[in-house]
Amino acid sequence: MTDDIRALSDQLAADPSSLAFLPLGEALRRRGQLDVAWKVATRGAERHPQRADAHDLVARIAIDRGDFARARAEWETVLSVAPGHAAAQKGLGFLRFQQGDLAGAAELLGAALAADPDDQSLATALGTVRAAMLDGDRGAHERETAIIAAPTGLPPEAAHDAQDARALFDEILADQPQTALLIDRDGYVVAGQYLTADGRDLGADLAAQLSGVSDEAARAVKYLGLGAWKQIVFESEAASLAMAPGGDGVLLVATPRSVPLGFVRRLLERCVMRARLWLETGE
Amino acid sequence: MSSPFTGLLGQLIRHRGVSGCLVVGERDGMIVEANLQIGVNGNAFAALSSSLYRKARRSALAAGFGEAGFFELTAEAGRVCAVGRNDLVLIVIAEPTVNVGLIRVEMLKAMELFA
Repeated sequence: MTDDIRALSDQLAADPSSLAFLPLGEALRRRGQLDVAWKVATRGAERHPQRADAHDLVARIAIDRGDFARARAEWETVLSVAPGHAAAQKGLGFLRFQQGDLAGAAELLGAALAADPDDQSLATALGTVRAAMLDGDRGAHERETAIIAAPTGLPPEAAHDAQDARALFDEILADQPQTALLIDRDGYVVAGQYLTADGRDLGADLAAQLSGVSDEAARAVKYLGLGAWKQIVFESEAASLAMAPGGDGVLLVATPRSVPLGFVRRLLERCVMRARLWLETGE
Repeated sequence: MSSPFTGLLGQLIRHRGVSGCLVVGERDGMIVEANLQIGVNGNAFAALSSSLYRKARRSALAAGFGEAGFFELTAEAGRVCAVGRNDLVLIVIAEPTVNVGLIRVEMLKAMELFA
């Protein structure tokens, strides 16, 4: 248990009605202690039902637990308590996107971006959603017009061309059974996919499980005075995994265990460059 | 007094670019044995590196990839390599220019001591 968590736990134990459950639940979530985080957050939200940040915390933990229905309900509660809450709109926007409701996702992400224009992950996500929408039934001219006319003030260079973000790394990965995901700072998949043999995309699950490693790494290098972290590589029984900072989040590559680590590193570097180009130019 | 790990740590520290190596408890981050160059904060590296390794191991398990093996973190000013078994983690602290391939082979071989 870290000193922060211990101190917050003590604070909450001394005064169960305090707001210490908010940083405590978030710290536990980031450490991957989801069951404990869940108890702390839900009890806090029960005590403080009018606090939007309490329901937002419950929603984010629910996402990490794979309980999307509960996450949706909590974010809807946030919006009923605090209309225009950017984080709730962002979360609901991602949920809509995952369900294939592109129009709903664009509306929510656009509103969130308007509330928080500095959030680069929102601009990226909104560009992806709009590109996916326009790719379906419009021509290039209409696409350009729509992007320029975007009501959120999104700069045209931030809106991506009609390229499916899920297929962003396909050219690099070729037909090999390997995966690359660009994950934002909240653990959401921005680009790439992780397809199972039966065609299901488990990218969101993978991102939720593994994005915490980079948080832990960032904390460790900070305290150890090693400068910024550049790369993480680790082997497991079934896969080799590699991560590097990408955008405002992390880029994750997973390959079968049989792939040499040197090749995994090279693959990661190429995917980072691809993601950077895509984030900067939309191409 | 020497432990089963003394020889292993003595071999690892002799590699060019290695500034410290430790055997640490994975759960508590406590040093079992260490061989460190002067100026390396062994306790901090032990606590944070074992925590990071534990996080990676649990994440890999949760994601369905099975048990973690070799782990390496590269930062601007150094590298941390780790490999673990049976609640013990072998950690090597090194400069960015270290020969990671050689270190990895030696660390994986050393896992026999942890069985």
